[in-house]
Amino acid sequence: MRLLLAAALALVSLGAFAQDQPPAAAARPPTAPDPERALRGKAVFERFCISCHGQNGDSRGYSAQWLDPAPRDFTRGIFKWRSTPSGTLPTDADLVRTVSRGLSHTNMPSWAPIGPRAVRDVVEYVKTFSPRWQTESPGEPIKIPPEPPDGEASRRRGAELFTQMGCFNCHGEKGKGDGPAMPTLLDDWGHKIVPYDFTGGTTLKCGDKPEDIYRVFMTGLTGSPMPSYDGQLSPEDAWHLVHFLQTLRSQ
Amino acid sequence: MRIGRELIPCLLVLIWLASGAARAVPAFARKTGIACSACHEVWPRLNEFGQAYRDRGYRLGRERDAPIQQSQFFWPMAMRTTVGYQWLRQTLVQTDAGPTTTQTGTLGFSGLDVFVAGNLAEKVSFLVTLNPPLASAGFLRAPQDGNLESAFVGLHDLFGSSWANLRVGKHALDLPIDEHRTITLTQGYNVYHFHLQNSASTFEPGNNQVGVEWYGHSELSRVRYSVSMLNTNGAPLSNNLLSAPAVWAHLQGTVWLEGDLLAAVKGGLFGGVSWNPTSTLSLTPSGGSPAPVVGTAARLRTARRYGAEAHLVLFSTVRPLTATGVIYLGSEDRDLLQGATRDATFAGGLAELVYTPSVRWSFIGRWERIRTTDPGADGVPLDVGNLTAVTAAVRHTFELTSRTEVAVHAELSRVQVQGAGNLPQTTTGLLGLDFAF
Repeated sequence: MRLLLAAALALVSLGAFAQDQPPAAAARPPTAPDPERALRGKAVFERFCISCHGQNGDSRGYSAQWLDPAPRDFTRGIFKWRSTPSGTLPTDADLVRTVSRGLSHTNMPSWAPIGPRAVRDVVEYVKTFSPRWQTESPGEPIKIPPEPPDGEASRRRGAELFTQMGCFNCHGEKGKGDGPAMPTLLDDWGHKIVPYDFTGGTTLKCGDKPEDIYRVFMTGLTGSPMPSYDGQLSPEDAWHLVHFLQTLRSQ
Repeated sequence: MRIGRELIPCLLVLIWLASGAARAVPAFARKTGIACSACHEVWPRLNEFGQAYRDRGYRLGRERDAPIQQSQFFWPMAMRTTVGYQWLRQTLVQTDAGPTTTQTGTLGFSGLDVFVAGNLAEKVSFLVTLNPPLASAGFLRAPQDGNLESAFVGLHDLFGSSWANLRVGKHALDLPIDEHRTITLTQGYNVYHFHLQNSASTFEPGNNQVGVEWYGHSELSRVRYSVSMLNTNGAPLSNNLLSAPAVWAHLQGTVWLEGDLLAAVKGGLFGGVSWNPTSTLSLTPSGGSPAPVVGTAARLRTARRYGAEAHLVLFSTVRPLTATGVIYLGSEDRDLLQGATRDATFAGGLAELVYTPSVRWSFIGRWERIRTTDPGADGVPLDVGNLTAVTAAVRHTFELTSRTEVAVHAELSRVQVQGAGNLPQTTTGLLGLDFAF
């Protein structure tokens, strides 16, 4: 009887001990923000990022009202520039890449001069603004097949796809960002959004390599009207479209 | 009634202009939307991001730098000044009654920088810094003259390379620590201005000078070089293709270590030579005194400055404790020194600690020492003109946005210059509000 009582008490104690453990700890994805690095990242954020992205990462910094496009609101965990499928969280490498590279045609500069450690730290801090990082893991980065040879036939096929897929609705027939749907486009925050003008400027927001353009087709720009064409566009056709868009840039 | 109808569009235009003017955003922070703390470790001292921005010719490289890509209401103008109380005590001040100690305490301005800078085109920058005369608004020691401190145009990425850039006009020489961005207000860097006793040389690397600067940098400005060719300030203009010339060069490299203790190490070498005229033809107007004739100065003699620097960035590049050491040596031709029989030399240097635990607080300490190592003649006391300076300051920036900065600044400095048997000492205290708009 004593033995049974002791066993019962031990089980209750074990149960109580188990209940004391934070349930989230076991469920925390490995990419959840690292507290130590996030603490260092807070200092980086307060020095470099706060004027646009705001104290709480909600894009309400004191400069935000003057900026077009608006700075990213981190609280919803929605990011455009990812290597991961539409709707999923970006990888740390995606965020590091965006911070290090900056985004041309926006007010986001390249922060590479502050050093890789500060960039990695601030990425950890940025991840603390949205609860999504506590429960979700980033998506699996999409596979980018090798680029087939560029040529007249590929570009012609790309031009056909540009029409067939309805790209012109937003980007315009000549890729100037002046398609018929342009005036109606809003992002997930309700901000007016302008489709990309492929003919203006010398750099692309997403990166200047052909792989960067391919990636945008297949991941989409979550939070904006630009959808993912993964499943609708074969990898081969996606490359044809990349080749066609590059002809628009050089015009 | 008709007049009223005509007035309405005029009023609407005025309202539109006024609303636009309210959005006008002078200076870099206003242009970019980025807080001042992004470029300044502690304002106005540049951090690595700010240095890279300056080296690139005030560009962030997002195809939004050129004036044509900015709001038409953008006007790249800013100003900076310090208002407050300055206490100054000097020993061994000569009077008819003999040497005495003086003490003054005044309220006033330490100086005013009116600053216009930015881009004329994608790869063309400019900067004009005007210091208007303060007259009686200064700290009442003496009226301060106005000055055009800087005025240059920069051409960037020549031949498509960040290693080839040009500044033409009056510019700051590239120094181990930029004196124009010093965070001490009662003391600059004395070594940059030091001359041996009775020297005719006027070359001071710490002064902005008119000339051409050729400079370059790596992508992130981790490696930088600068070579300036100048007309020396204040020297009589010699009969040469480049009158009273000087050359200054600086090479600087940074290694990003990212350690918990040692975050980065920066090192550099610098040096310059100035050729100073030692004779000139003169013209004596009737009833006047002889005046040198411009373009006739001759017998150029050299003054040389050279040295090395090391900067240790401890703990973090974001909240750093930066320890800097600079060794600064110089020599001057005997013909530049009255009574010298051989070239004279001096050795100087400084040690500086700047701790910035947050974007709002900074603590500064500096020790400088300059010693004559050879006065150029026998029998001349070795300690004449020697200088020791100690400066300590605390700075709290309580307003810090992309529009304005306001800091409370407290500072105490002591400079001791040795003379023949005298040890005059100047102690300066400052409590002020340093602000920029």
